[in-house]
Amino acid sequence: MKTKLLSLNEATRTVNSGSNKVTLLDTINLQVNEGEFISLMGPSGSGKSTLLNCIGMLDSFTGGGYTFLGEPVHSMKEKNRSKLYKEYIGFVFQAYHLIDELTVWENIETPLLYKSVKSSERKALVADMLDRFNIVGKKDLFPQQLSGGQQQLVGIARALIGNPKLILADEPTGNLNSKQSTEIMELFSQLNKEGVTIIQATHSEQNAAYGSRIINLLDGKIVEE
Amino acid sequence: MIINYIKIALRSLLKNKGYSFLNIFGLAIGITCASLIFLWVEDEVSFNTGFPNQDQVFYVPTNQNYEGEWRTFYSTPGPLAQDMLNEIPGIEKATRSNLQEILFAFGDNSITRRGRYADEDFLDIFSLKFIEGNRENAFTNPEAIVLTQETSEQLFGKGERAIGKVVKVSNKDNYLVTGVVENLPKNVTFPFDWVAPFERYAEGEEWMTFYGNNFSDTFVKLAPEANFKTVDAQVRTLIVKKEENTTDYAFLHSIKDWHLRSKFDGGEIVGGRITYVRLFTIIAFIILLIACINFMNLSTARSEKRANEVGVRKAMGSSRGRLVTQFISESLMLAFIAAIVSVLFLAVLLPQFNLIIEKDLALGLSNPIHILALLSITVICGVFAGLYPAFYLSSFKPVQVLKGLKVSEGSASFIRKGLVVGQFTISIVFIIFTILVYQQIQHAKNRDLGYDKNQLLSMQIDEDFIPKFDVIQQELIRTGSVYNATLCNSQLLSGGNNGSGFTWKGGTDTEDVLISFRNVTESFFETTGMEIIEGRGFNKNYEIDSTSVLISQSLAKMMGNENPIGNIINRGDGPLEVVGVVKDYVYGDMFDSSDPVMFMNYPPYARYMFIKTKEGVPIDRALSDIEAVLKTYNPAYPFEYSFVDEAFDAKFKNEQLVGELSQIFAILAILISCLGLFGLAAYTAEQRSKEIGVRKVLGASVSGIVKLLSKDFLKLVGISILISVPIAWYATYSWLQDYAYRIEIDWIVFLVAGILAVIIALVTVSFQAIKAAIANPVDSLKTE
Repeated sequence: MKTKLLSLNEATRTVNSGSNKVTLLDTINLQVNEGEFISLMGPSGSGKSTLLNCIGMLDSFTGGGYTFLGEPVHSMKEKNRSKLYKEYIGFVFQAYHLIDELTVWENIETPLLYKSVKSSERKALVADMLDRFNIVGKKDLFPQQLSGGQQQLVGIARALIGNPKLILADEPTGNLNSKQSTEIMELFSQLNKEGVTIIQATHSEQNAAYGSRIINLLDGKIVEE
Repeated sequence: MIINYIKIALRSLLKNKGYSFLNIFGLAIGITCASLIFLWVEDEVSFNTGFPNQDQVFYVPTNQNYEGEWRTFYSTPGPLAQDMLNEIPGIEKATRSNLQEILFAFGDNSITRRGRYADEDFLDIFSLKFIEGNRENAFTNPEAIVLTQETSEQLFGKGERAIGKVVKVSNKDNYLVTGVVENLPKNVTFPFDWVAPFERYAEGEEWMTFYGNNFSDTFVKLAPEANFKTVDAQVRTLIVKKEENTTDYAFLHSIKDWHLRSKFDGGEIVGGRITYVRLFTIIAFIILLIACINFMNLSTARSEKRANEVGVRKAMGSSRGRLVTQFISESLMLAFIAAIVSVLFLAVLLPQFNLIIEKDLALGLSNPIHILALLSITVICGVFAGLYPAFYLSSFKPVQVLKGLKVSEGSASFIRKGLVVGQFTISIVFIIFTILVYQQIQHAKNRDLGYDKNQLLSMQIDEDFIPKFDVIQQELIRTGSVYNATLCNSQLLSGGNNGSGFTWKGGTDTEDVLISFRNVTESFFETTGMEIIEGRGFNKNYEIDSTSVLISQSLAKMMGNENPIGNIINRGDGPLEVVGVVKDYVYGDMFDSSDPVMFMNYPPYARYMFIKTKEGVPIDRALSDIEAVLKTYNPAYPFEYSFVDEAFDAKFKNEQLVGELSQIFAILAILISCLGLFGLAAYTAEQRSKEIGVRKVLGASVSGIVKLLSKDFLKLVGISILISVPIAWYATYSWLQDYAYRIEIDWIVFLVAGILAVIIALVTVSFQAIKAAIANPVDSLKTE
């Protein structure tokens, strides 16, 4: 039997835009088990990114329940929430969002610094990761010196370095050409096979097909699974 | 983690060179400026700290009442010191003392040195340390003199033993060196090069032993266990016990206050240089504040660039606290670089600064206190300047900034504008203050002095010179370089001797009027250019003119008589007849009206000679002619002189200092503010590049866009002007209250300062505005 990673129970996200209340996510019910690879699909503005951010705890639901590894995130204090996502969640962004002033090595190392991992251990972990992604030769370069595909590779390496249970990827290939996209998606399915749970938001049917489960969103609602 | 912060800080520093330069340069100027002020303050407060027994040493001034007003003088009756010692328990040591400048001669060597005739206790009060001889035997011989090491070396040569040597003083008396003491510590309010027994000075001067004549300085040292209040209370009642018909009273003035708190008004200490020490300390902090404001402004203005990093770091698990730490470490690092740069600035600027303030300040980096102070300034600036940006930047929500949404700028841009207004307000206040200080100095310098200070030499003379004066005067005039010469008992610009207790017909309370005495020769008025407006001058033969006096206009007015000529003034030693009235002249405080003066034709009391050189004669030639005459007729004395106009300028030292420093601070404040404004303008131009591109495509002109970009900043400067005007007015108004002779504050000054600020801001901003306006819109639109 599969272990439950997270579940959303009538989760809602609204914002106030002027005097209007806008509903970004509308009573979402979703259960994600460990080892799943989920593709979120839907047109722009359908709430894919918001859902990812809320699951990733960068943003929070304004209503409903959110349970992560059995813990009620919705009633958690900011501090514990941050501890939780630091430990279990890695992010991959469409625009990579590497820190320009840091080298490849240092970018990958950053999450470990925030987890207060010891220096020797950090070195070993980063070296492993560089090895695994075949980018040892690029470790001292800065992000601007890399191609988009390479930058996204570093972005994924950075997301993985903390050994998360869940990777959240918001349009991870949106800025890449098709060859680079394929490489990245191959990498994702490889990681998924190794046991990492992945939720990606994507516009591309082709990329979505890598997932084991596709969820369609429209106007903040799940319309089809 | 820290290494990571430093690394990223350094890299972002190098990446944004222009921005880093503005920040570091601005902060470095601020730190430099504050350091200069603090060095000056350190020097000011160090005065007299070289003497031990700081809590026990006191000057004894007297308060005297004239025309209903208490005035404070450093002169006391001769017997006061001894009576204090005898009658007031708690007074351990007391001395009379009189400052004199005398000529020493030893062999061919002659020098003039300032020193004090004093009682033996003087040596203990100032804890003089003997290098040769000892304290016990120093004053046993009535012909004794104790020299400082420096004086001894100048007189006898380095390494020469001085004790037992006989020096000739004032070309007639022999003094026996009985001791050499260590040089005085640096920064002493009343320095002296020698000390000799007071008896020698008081010899044959019976009047010095009575109350009623204030002429001597009195210094005392309290017993360690004595209570200041109790002793001071007893000191205050001593004179009235000893002297009839007087309200004079003495009081204790601590050595700790001699330098900084020696301004008296109505008989009370009302401040002194401490005002300037406080003022400049505040200014130092204000300048630092301006520099820190720059830092904050530039940091928050660049926030968009940093926003993404904040978002990523937060998504990677950074807490807000860690981001705050990161940003503060960055500003600390900038502050440290700025501190290093400022040390270089200081090394270059300190000599110039020393010239202005006429001090010999040293950077003293080996002094741990200096290092500690610099470090504290740096850390405080770093943390203070970094705090607001740190909290502002770290407040960004990752979801928003990572999506590339514009950071909502609301509070930041408001605060930023407020800070710019703050900076410019301070700058404009400085500009206005500087202009008004200069106006005030010029105002006092240009006032009608009542005499002509130009081409006027002053020389100190001794008694034996006076009988030779007539010949010397003739010879001087004969050279063709000299217009005339005269003798007087006091310097032209200083207060000199004075006294009260005069009576005249028709006046009430005339005893209360304090009158200055001038013992002069007949040639005095012609030499100095003073104008006799009524009656006659003095007779060439002073012996037949001994009861004639000339009085100043203000005294004549006090007499109230239509025709003052022929009036009789009485004092203890017989009636004096007014034979002439002299136009009032300014002496003592150049910013006040001077006390009335009575001139007497009595050269034997003279201590100074004044020589007026002829118009058109080069000063070098005049000086060498004068020197030749004096070498012939007064060979024992070195040719030492000063110019009255230079002494006059020196009278404005304090005001000049305030003016010059205020000017420097004004320039620096403006410079730092402009650096900030420049950075902000650059940022705004960048921020609005797309808008500018669109406007240009739609047909906006370059000038229209420059106007658009400059307008907002000018508005801020406008607000600054409005705020600064009342502040500046109040500051200068309070400052001017110290001066009786002062300018009216002219509104034009405010206008000028305002226009100046607008022009400076406009030049700063328009550079960026023009750059943005002439850029090709295709580039700015494409990048979006």
